[in-house]
Amino acid sequence: MDIWNQLLGGFATAGTPINLMWAFIGCVIGTGIGVLPGIGPAVTVAMLLPITAQVEPTASMIFFAGIYYGAMYGGSTTSILLNTPGETGTMVTALEGFKMAKSGRAGAALATSAIGSFVAGTIATVLVTLFAPVVAEFAVRLGPPEYFLLMLLAFTTVSAVLGQSTLRGLTALFLGLAIGLVGLDQITGQVRYTAGVPEFMDGIEVVLVAVGLFAVGECLYTALYEGRAVQQINRMGSVHMTRSEWRRSWPAWLRGTALGFPFGTIPAGGTEIPTFLSYGLERKLSKYPKEFGTTGAIEGVAGPEAANNAAVTATLVPLLTLGIPTSVTAAILLSALQNYGINAGPQLFQTSSTLVWALIASLYIGNVMLLVLNLPLVGLWVKLLEIPRPQLYAGILIFATVGVYGMRQSAFDLFLMLGIGLAGVVMRRFDFPTAPVIVGMILGPLAEAQMRNALSIGEGKWGVFVERPMSLGLLMLVAAVLLLPRLMAMWRRARR
Amino acid sequence: MPEEPRRNHQMLVGASILLVGALLAFGAMGIRSDAGYAGVGPNFLPWVVAGALVLCGGSLLWEARSGGFRQMDEPSGSASGDWTALAWVSAGVVANAALITTVGFILSCTLCFMLAVRGLRASEGKPQGGTRGLVTDFVTGFLIAGPAFWLFTKVLAINLPGLTATGWI
Repeated sequence: MDIWNQLLGGFATAGTPINLMWAFIGCVIGTGIGVLPGIGPAVTVAMLLPITAQVEPTASMIFFAGIYYGAMYGGSTTSILLNTPGETGTMVTALEGFKMAKSGRAGAALATSAIGSFVAGTIATVLVTLFAPVVAEFAVRLGPPEYFLLMLLAFTTVSAVLGQSTLRGLTALFLGLAIGLVGLDQITGQVRYTAGVPEFMDGIEVVLVAVGLFAVGECLYTALYEGRAVQQINRMGSVHMTRSEWRRSWPAWLRGTALGFPFGTIPAGGTEIPTFLSYGLERKLSKYPKEFGTTGAIEGVAGPEAANNAAVTATLVPLLTLGIPTSVTAAILLSALQNYGINAGPQLFQTSSTLVWALIASLYIGNVMLLVLNLPLVGLWVKLLEIPRPQLYAGILIFATVGVYGMRQSAFDLFLMLGIGLAGVVMRRFDFPTAPVIVGMILGPLAEAQMRNALSIGEGKWGVFVERPMSLGLLMLVAAVLLLPRLMAMWRRARR
Repeated sequence: MPEEPRRNHQMLVGASILLVGALLAFGAMGIRSDAGYAGVGPNFLPWVVAGALVLCGGSLLWEARSGGFRQMDEPSGSASGDWTALAWVSAGVVANAALITTVGFILSCTLCFMLAVRGLRASEGKPQGGTRGLVTDFVTGFLIAGPAFWLFTKVLAINLPGLTATGWI
């Protein structure tokens, strides 16, 4: 089989000592930042983007991917022991995991989440191996109108479906699009919104916005509002599961994987929805419903953890085959590829097949590394939680400087970073989602180019978006995502 | 938070979005429209974004006036902000931005660390530890900034400014 040959080739590339080292460092850093509160995979990859100027693409993508899914492993440790989820995807884990830890079963919770992550990550990687080439082959046939509408769908779901209010989600999205406008227009080279500042000619770097919003914003918010919040750390037990805990865990892992993977592949933004769905499902199916919310049920950790990792792995399918990111970290991975002048999209499997297959192979390798890093060594990671908060957040500022200054060697960017950080504080205080800003600024210019190309094909007529069956279908899907929740709410009100 | 200031704050947020939209519209007027075959040129998306932000800002203002932002989670943390702490941390970042090219990455980041740690510790209500605390913070900051500098400049060949040309500080 062709796929297996290419995968073997991928293993050959990913298995070289230097690439293994990058994968390992990525997994270590990923687990570490997953464990540490206040810093996530998106901002870490963003801070490290300057290395794209020196390190070759395959190695750095393996490295970044290791950080991405490593953070999901590490994030669950924090959720279970500290009840402050490191990542949004591990929010649900905190529900039952923290309760389990409180009643002295932290070890079992940690074990089921690490092994569950491994099972789900590996199954999802197999699915990526099988499906990504098929999707890519299909995607070659898509034209600019379809691409534009796919991106529009990604915009809609990331801003309207996630988060509480559609209005605040859309506001965040348009702010992101506005940031993406700064600089040279891709098609005509027209200068836009530079206000005469030469630094703005190249546009605003993703690193700057991501680090400003997430790292600096988080640090400022902590100083401003969270100084008096007390944290309570649960004690660790020995990391193992009893026979009955195994029996209760594995069906939950499989169900979680089955829920998580499809959600990761569609542009529905991230891991929140499948983890919540998985939690609800496990709660309904469990033979021990009394444990939910009281002493903590192991299914409530096993299912969502698996769903989370399956979804994270699955986001690589739209990223690699369509060039459409469905999470913030995927968006930053996309901009890493752009730094190399590599266009993610269906052609990627032909033009950069070595990179793609090495990346997929590294997922298999990375999952094994992470299982080893997280099960026997979990005690070491827990030590990270003992770093006092002031030193931790102030230290993050130093790495923020490396990322932002290292990208363009401009002190101006550091001032801008503070400004964006302050805006991030306001956004967090007033419950604006931040993901749409990043997705908007990265995907915005691409979507604009696709839209204008599509209109050129249609000779300036907007009808081009409804004349082709695929694009008409996508357009209806976008309308459904926007309107259905509202219509359903109205219908429910009318029935009452 | 009491109702009155909350309403004012939310209106301020809505008004700022409105202002951003208006500024973008003002900027969009200066962009030429070389439409070509597409029928829409480089000024098309700017107008769309400007219009949308004006709309969003207006709707946010309306929500704020009529009972506050909808479907809103209570923000985490205390009700009133510790503005002194915020000022310390911001001062750290500003000092870093202002000094990095003259005194070099390591010293500038160490200073940033010292100022930020001070602010964050004050927000927790913990003692600063006098002169000894200052020395500890300096050493801690240096021990983070130094290795970070050496790792990124020597191993990964990223350009970061030094105080001297030796590449060590």
